[in-house]
Amino acid sequence: MSRIGSRRVRGAALVLFRMVAVGAMAGPAEVAQIKPRQDKLRDMGGALKAIDDELKKRTVDWDNVVLPNVQTLKDRSGYLLNWFPKGSGPESGVKTYALPAIWQKNDDFVKVGKAAQAETAKLAQVAASKDADALRAEALVTGKACKACHDNYRSPDYEKENED
Amino acid sequence: MSAVPVMNDGASAKLRIWDGPTRIMHWLLVVFIAVCWWTGIHDQLQYHLYAGYAILWVVLLRLYWGFVGSSTARFAHFVRGPSHMIDYARTLHRRDSAQSHGHNPLGAISVLVMLGVVLAVVGLGLFAVDVDGLYSGPLSSYVSFKVGRHLAHLHYKWFEYLLGIIALHLAAVAFYYIYKRQNLVFPMISGSREVEGSVEEELRTVPLWRLIFGAAIVSAFVWAVADGFYF
Repeated sequence: MSRIGSRRVRGAALVLFRMVAVGAMAGPAEVAQIKPRQDKLRDMGGALKAIDDELKKRTVDWDNVVLPNVQTLKDRSGYLLNWFPKGSGPESGVKTYALPAIWQKNDDFVKVGKAAQAETAKLAQVAASKDADALRAEALVTGKACKACHDNYRSPDYEKENED
Repeated sequence: MSAVPVMNDGASAKLRIWDGPTRIMHWLLVVFIAVCWWTGIHDQLQYHLYAGYAILWVVLLRLYWGFVGSSTARFAHFVRGPSHMIDYARTLHRRDSAQSHGHNPLGAISVLVMLGVVLAVVGLGLFAVDVDGLYSGPLSSYVSFKVGRHLAHLHYKWFEYLLGIIALHLAAVAFYYIYKRQNLVFPMISGSREVEGSVEEELRTVPLWRLIFGAAIVSAFVWAVADGFYF
């Protein structure tokens, strides 16, 4: 066999091995979680941004902007910890910035996830009072709760090539 | 103001090249870019924002100074046509070529590209959206979450280009020092360099009020940007 032919066979064997290995670790259900998870987390980021942006304005639109976005955050965060089944990390072969630490230190991951859920619940309570200063303060705390998870369980932002 | 020639009788003398504001702006840019780099990598985004505003202030003031500042700081003094650049590039290999009074024709490209890319990186950062929603750029509320996230990634990408340009700039400075025996760093610190027995054009400075006026305008603009134009 020529050198190029031998390389091709080795390359094909490697691809086959990866497919089998990944298949053994991650089922289709776990892999299927990755894209919707990214979309839902992006929605949450967008909701927090919409709240922050609205709070910068002189007149805050509570009913059409703040409250619906607070609700999005609260609803989504309730399911947050269900979005990371074992096998939906980088080992799945699908592009994801979720770090293996999520499953290696799962107790801590669950702890920070629950803290984020608690903060979004508080955010909803504060938003109901329609007190802009109080909501600004609570939005900051909620952002820090998001950051606590991103710092340890997500690739650094500057390492990402794009937002897709 | 008219040019003031300095006549030397063969002995070495000091020739002023750079005024204080130009030197200070140069070194402030070095410091604040380093601060932005470090704070960006180490996720100290509040300080990253402050350093970014400082860079915006320095670059805008430098652009203003390029039109109304002292002679060697002005773009009209060192930005020439392509023929000047080609002629100068042809003499680059010569060790005995005369030292330029201020930026040389190739250095002019470096200045323009550096200022342009720094401004691009800062501009992208102003609209960039932070993934945690904590430290987004002050103008990020004018774009959607998704657009802001894309701009954040472009902000990182263009910073890498800036690092490449800085590396090229440092390599050029090292080339002049090692190959052509011209120290470009010391004049940027002291403002002057030694010349021997020739007629040179002295630096023409301008009144300080021009700098103060420009600094006040630029400060007001940067403050408005930092506030997201929410008055």
